[in-house]
Amino acid sequence: MKMFRGFGAILFKEFIVMLRDPTTLFFMLIPPMIQMVAFGFALDTDVKNMGLIVFDQARTVESRQLVDRFVNTETFKVVGRVESVSEMESEIRKGHAYAALQIPPDFSRNLRAGHPVMVQLAIDGSNSTTALQALNTGIAVTMRDAIAQLLAESGRREMPIEVRPQMLFNPAMKSPNFFIPGVIGLVLQMATLFTTAMAVVRERERGTLEQLLVSPVSRWGLMLGKLIPYFCLGSAMAALLVLLMRFVFGVPIAGSLLGLTVSVLVYVFTLLSIGLLISTRAENQMQALQMTMTLILPSVFFSGFIFPRETMPWIFYAISTLLPATYGIGLIRAIVLRGATFSEYWPMLAILCAMAVGLFSLCAVRFKSKIG
Amino acid sequence: MAQPMIQCEGLTKRFGSFTAVDHVSFNVERGAIFGFLGPNGSGKSTVIRMLCGILEPSDGTASIDGRNVVEETDELKEMIGYMSQKFSLYDELTVHENLTFYGKLYGLRREALRKRYDDLLALTHLEPYLERRAGLLSGGWRQRLAMACALMHEPKVLFLDEPTAGIDPVARRELWDLLFEFSGRGMTLFVTTHYMDEAERCSHVGYIYLSKLIVCGVPDSLKLLPEVNPPGTRRIDVTCEHVTVGLQALRHKAGISTATVFGQSMHLLVDDAVSDERIRSYLAEAGIHSVDLRPISPSLEDVFVALTAKHAEGGHA
Repeated sequence: MKMFRGFGAILFKEFIVMLRDPTTLFFMLIPPMIQMVAFGFALDTDVKNMGLIVFDQARTVESRQLVDRFVNTETFKVVGRVESVSEMESEIRKGHAYAALQIPPDFSRNLRAGHPVMVQLAIDGSNSTTALQALNTGIAVTMRDAIAQLLAESGRREMPIEVRPQMLFNPAMKSPNFFIPGVIGLVLQMATLFTTAMAVVRERERGTLEQLLVSPVSRWGLMLGKLIPYFCLGSAMAALLVLLMRFVFGVPIAGSLLGLTVSVLVYVFTLLSIGLLISTRAENQMQALQMTMTLILPSVFFSGFIFPRETMPWIFYAISTLLPATYGIGLIRAIVLRGATFSEYWPMLAILCAMAVGLFSLCAVRFKSKIG
Repeated sequence: MAQPMIQCEGLTKRFGSFTAVDHVSFNVERGAIFGFLGPNGSGKSTVIRMLCGILEPSDGTASIDGRNVVEETDELKEMIGYMSQKFSLYDELTVHENLTFYGKLYGLRREALRKRYDDLLALTHLEPYLERRAGLLSGGWRQRLAMACALMHEPKVLFLDEPTAGIDPVARRELWDLLFEFSGRGMTLFVTTHYMDEAERCSHVGYIYLSKLIVCGVPDSLKLLPEVNPPGTRRIDVTCEHVTVGLQALRHKAGISTATVFGQSMHLLVDDAVSDERIRSYLAEAGIHSVDLRPISPSLEDVFVALTAKHAEGGHA
């Protein structure tokens, strides 16, 4: 076929070059695994055993029970006891504790007398995630105490309204389960982009591209021959990451494995096309690197990986609709976590397919078979 | 006479306001070894790139074996071989793999590829290195391999951009032997160089200076040009001790228009009015007594120096 002329030769050469180039193999296989493990363990937003400072001025049975109830939630862990307000604040400023509980001297007396009681919970608000968790737990603990007291006084035995929450999809609410599938999408993007972005520009720098241009190789043959070896490597890497997710992090795959495979392969193809496009546009490897970075950063923030897309200002939402990572991560999460079926996830897959075909065609059509 | 292999008419390339190649016209006959000379940056590589169809001319036309280099690039690419300045090879690939790759790239069938591969190995003596990676070859062998790669598809014309830059003299000599071999088989060779001894080996030469083609033709006839041999002058070779001292003594004397050192001797262009005895006496004043004078014909270098000077004066287009 004239359209793919030279494809076989380029494929043959690229496979050899790729397998003999230790840096490509290394960057394609090792950092992704490390990133996955690192992200997987570090991005645990479940807050447990936050440091709590106790300033107990009452020193009574009741005050000790209150502290125990805070500790029993597993959200807090007592890391110290202080004797003054200034000491309490200083411990928080030093970062020794996230929160401090101050129980007044008249705590038990007022409690027994049925008077309102004030306890103070000081929280380090600089990290909103931990602060929110501390606040919620603090309110819940004291609320329950207060309600129990009221119930006892009113003679009723049960709560008037009770919420029974049921967590769908991620029953234990473990944050690794939510993040790991996203991490796969992100890590795949980094490794594939960095390696393919170098694929053509490296030949330009070495002068071998000129040698290819004087040959009758076609653009489609050249581009496809360049892409396929990286596609194989990228797919192998994706498989490794999924295995890691399933067996090291223990995240179950709720949906179909076939659907996941197809989605990931389409996603990898799209990423490789972007990498190639960068590589054909860049004049040197440095430029290619910069362009790749420019693309990767928005993908981390706007793809819905960390922040939900729906709550973004419209401009960032618009950017997110253009990022393949949005759909790649969306698909992996939908299939792995929510067990989505084809009829539920096909729109995302369709968009990703369109991106793959469009970007790859752009590579071939826009590739200049001239120099200068 | 058959149609020339390469025909250029007013070939021009401008990069922005800079004109890299300025209305260059020449023909290269079939089977010729065409030496394309000129200083660095004079536009040699740009001309080659335009002829190879990888750089669009700003103006003018060019054809190879009757195929227009802009409109018929597909047919053109089958006919030409190109060896770039850097001997661009895939360093990770072995000699064997490089050759196979280029054979496949041009769509050679298995038997044809095998046959061509064997032929080229026999010519280039690359057999002992077949399993060696190209990145580990020395300059001379890299260049042989690059040439073999460029020849896998049996091109009618082979373009070599400074094929001998940075390789040792023995490898240089061997390369030229190979070029003569290919030329003998009917291939047309287009070679850029700035070595004058290489230029002397070419059947035809062209000289490009400041983007303009200054002269083009057969070396022997160029040496007879009136611009090179102004009427009433002669060229002599002066062999003596302390040539550099002698050069100082002769350089600014009336009637001696050029004086250049060549190893143990000097080449002079002198007016007929200046006798050999006058030259001997100039040298004697500088303390040089043992002097041997003999008439010579101009070298190609003399030709280019004379024509460049003429061009700089604006007397030649």
